[in-house]
Amino acid sequence: MKKTLLGSLVAFGLTVLPLTAQAGTVTVKGSDTMVILAQRWAEAFMKKNPATKLQVTGGGSGTGLAALQNGTTDIAMSSREMKEAEEEKLRQRYNTPPTSVSVAKDGVTFYVNESNPVQALTLEQLKDIYLGDTTSWKAVGGPDAPIVLYSRENSSGTYAFVKEKVLDGDDYASNAQTLPGTAAVANAVAKEKNGIGYGGAAYAKGIKELKVKKDNDAFAPTAENVKSGKYPLSRDLFFYLRNKPSGETKAFIDFALSPEGQAIVSQVGYFPVK
Amino acid sequence: MRSLLAALSLLISGAALAQDATPQPPLPSPAASEPREAVEPSATTPQERPPPRANAPSVPEASPSIDERLTADEHRVEALEEQNTETKNDLSALKKLRISGYIQARYQYQEPLDEITGAGGFSRFTIRRSRLKATYTTDLAQAMIQIDASPTGVALRDAEATLFIPGTKQQLSLTVGQMKWPFGYEGPQSSSDREFPERTRVTRNLLPSERDRGAKVNGRYKFLRLAVGMFDGAGIDSGTTQDNDKEKDLIGHVGFDLKWIAGGVSGWYGHALGKLPTDTFRRAYDRSRVGVDLQTYFDLLPVGGTSLKGEFLAGRTYGAANNATHLDVPAHGWYLLLVQNIGLNDAVGFRYDSFDPHNGQPDDGTLELPGADNTVDTVGFVVQHHFGENLKMTASYELPITHVIAQAQDPHDNLFTLQMQARF
Repeated sequence: MKKTLLGSLVAFGLTVLPLTAQAGTVTVKGSDTMVILAQRWAEAFMKKNPATKLQVTGGGSGTGLAALQNGTTDIAMSSREMKEAEEEKLRQRYNTPPTSVSVAKDGVTFYVNESNPVQALTLEQLKDIYLGDTTSWKAVGGPDAPIVLYSRENSSGTYAFVKEKVLDGDDYASNAQTLPGTAAVANAVAKEKNGIGYGGAAYAKGIKELKVKKDNDAFAPTAENVKSGKYPLSRDLFFYLRNKPSGETKAFIDFALSPEGQAIVSQVGYFPVK
Repeated sequence: MRSLLAALSLLISGAALAQDATPQPPLPSPAASEPREAVEPSATTPQERPPPRANAPSVPEASPSIDERLTADEHRVEALEEQNTETKNDLSALKKLRISGYIQARYQYQEPLDEITGAGGFSRFTIRRSRLKATYTTDLAQAMIQIDASPTGVALRDAEATLFIPGTKQQLSLTVGQMKWPFGYEGPQSSSDREFPERTRVTRNLLPSERDRGAKVNGRYKFLRLAVGMFDGAGIDSGTTQDNDKEKDLIGHVGFDLKWIAGGVSGWYGHALGKLPTDTFRRAYDRSRVGVDLQTYFDLLPVGGTSLKGEFLAGRTYGAANNATHLDVPAHGWYLLLVQNIGLNDAVGFRYDSFDPHNGQPDDGTLELPGADNTVDTVGFVVQHHFGENLKMTASYELPITHVIAQAQDPHDNLFTLQMQARF
């Protein structure tokens, strides 16, 4: 056993191991559903802590979680739970179990145009519509008109949520138009009288929200129904981190979970977790 | 959106006005009182133009109204959306296809030639792995093929056809083809994720090539993990492309994953055909393995995550060639790996592994040489640096300690490896 090359190894280590200086900026990236919420939090937080800079950008839950793996964001916003493969990649890369924090609740809402007489649909009817098996509003109590489908891009957590909870994992109908952002979906439905789309409750202004039928009752995505779990499409909105939060990142998350932060959740249109 | 369209429309009309200033081909001069539409030339039916009315009201020449422009622009946007939808439909199939891969290029230095054996010692560049992997995943099925191109040739590493059992949300699947053995932790772990350039000595001996042809069921339920399969058993380095016997090996791993701690137990039961000097004919010898693995992840230090991983493997009948070089020979080994992240881009690691190639056989040595079946312990150090998300540089130094007796000496076989890994 010789130790002649240990010196070179140490030299290499000293060369390539510059301790990364932690910048004074906290970056938050991911779910488009959560962007508006995180921006409000960031504005309020920076007013109280002017020395801390927060950068909030969207791109979809998948994009945020990928950024977390690549080390290009401190916090990933996600409107779905992290997949096992994503979690495993994080552990392999950073040798630490990722941390998830549920910061708000949301009811995924299906929108139709205000002129559409349909008020409520069952999960089964929604599934048939988005699989392309039901193509006319007439089949679900509406006018004799073709259904125009709007969806989100597949990097969206909402896309994945609807795919899992409504479509039981099946593929969306190929004629579903994918739009970049929930606001775009809501806008498209507002313009298209035969349209249907989905997104977070916060973006549902100006268009009609469908109730979802369950056990002969129809439930609207209200705070009460989402928190009680009666609304069948309620979900958690998460912050994901590589490891346990510390420093400015922890201060921001603590603020989001504080009474003030949770009040912002309600103002934006989502539902508090505390 | 409407305000944007209005602005766009004004810009377009501005451009149109600018164009009006350029010389135009001569047109029939309309009567001053004639509406503009009536004077538009028609190449097809000029004779159908209605004659000007004598008492037509005098209307000033006007551009289309804002509403008309908006409508026209909305139609243009709709047309673009339609084209975009068609393009996305075409691309949706491609999104299911993922092309990935990585290249591990190395410089290695081993201690100078051994004075006694004349073996060992080199300074060389190598391409250890050059992988290209294509995966096509749908809700019901997955196809995966992986090849390895190296200076010695191109070899098939994996070719898997997977069925996701309907109704299980991809939690339960059946895979048939050439794939990794579901045994232990280090064996199935991707070489691109590992901290050290190579697997430990015990894994390299008991799981040579890490893969085989067979069929495997993979299942997950909450924190429980199960993978069990039937394989040819000899591995892809056996030198044959077809199984050379009727024996099949049953291999499986039952594990758990609680985020900060994961692990499991593995088992392998099968047979290898072979003939020992004492045999008249070939016969089936037990080829068996057991294993225990554990991985833990902590946030102990403020500089980054810490992981501690360990594994114990024991088995009988092993070796790359026909997986039976050591026919009916029992062996065992273990390792401990400690890795500490430093910031987001760096990590340091330490590994100790031990391999006893023949359980119960005492260490020996002749002419100052240790015996071939002596136990070898290896101390390893590694540092890693990530240059962004696609490039990782690793430097490792490994010091094998061969157990010796009497006058035999530990061979000079310390190894330095500097590896650049690029992945996509």
